[in-house]
Amino acid sequence: MNLFAMMETSGSAMQAERMRAEVVAANMANAETTRTATGGPYHRQHVIFAANAGDAEFATSLSSVAGSAGIGLSASGTLSAPGGSGSAVAPGVHIAGVVEDPAPPLKRYDPGHPDAGEDRYVAYPDINPLTEMVDLMGATRAYGLNSSAVQAEKGMIASALEIAKS
Amino acid sequence: MEMQVETRLSDQIARYLDLATSEAKLTAANMANVDTPGYRALGMDFEAEMREAMDGVDRGKPARPVRLKAVDGLIARPDGNNVSMDREGLNLAEAQLKFKAGVALLRQEYQRVMDAIHVDGK
Repeated sequence: MNLFAMMETSGSAMQAERMRAEVVAANMANAETTRTATGGPYHRQHVIFAANAGDAEFATSLSSVAGSAGIGLSASGTLSAPGGSGSAVAPGVHIAGVVEDPAPPLKRYDPGHPDAGEDRYVAYPDINPLTEMVDLMGATRAYGLNSSAVQAEKGMIASALEIAKS
Repeated sequence: MEMQVETRLSDQIARYLDLATSEAKLTAANMANVDTPGYRALGMDFEAEMREAMDGVDRGKPARPVRLKAVDGLIARPDGNNVSMDREGLNLAEAQLKFKAGVALLRQEYQRVMDAIHVDGK
């Protein structure tokens, strides 16, 4: 059993949560942005998390859980054998993609704005600070959860080193 | 006389450590996917695995992969994810303590062998 694989698992989650927090920060920073490279106002972005398949055995059991809509997991689901092949790959999480929220922009009457349309309304991004803050809190909490998992795993590795000491 | 550094007890503790690591690894995987839509928490039956591992030590069988199972009785969120932060936090603490207990026992067992080696006081 690879102790470091656990740290990779938690590390992948920390990386993913940090990315999520970065996307939230970008959303909040661009809450009033009316000009983007693609033209038009900024659109809210979100991240999509997807579970890593991990090693072959873990992938099988994971797909059997994900495949059945309910709980039923086949009894053949296995975790990698101690010292078995392919146990180095961590069953963590990764970001499958960052997608744009298709929500239409908010129209605000602002005739003096240089980006105002014919009707004198300006298209602003549809970003709700509340939604973003809640998302940020979720990312922070999940980041903390995984970092305490790393702390625990470090403790386990350190204590395993104690075996050799006399 | 046959010299036995690896005792039956040390083999048993080694299997116990493997299982504690599996449990911690599963918990880490669940924690990592706390925000993954549709992910279902995975668990294992520690007692059953332990019983089988002890039987395996007595019969001289090599360690077998741990059987994973979906955890029952968790409430799924609307996105289909049913990982509970509290449950995983507790499980990790438990796995960590199990591991540390196993390490302490294994140290003691090896210390006994060392004592036997140094029994003449040299």
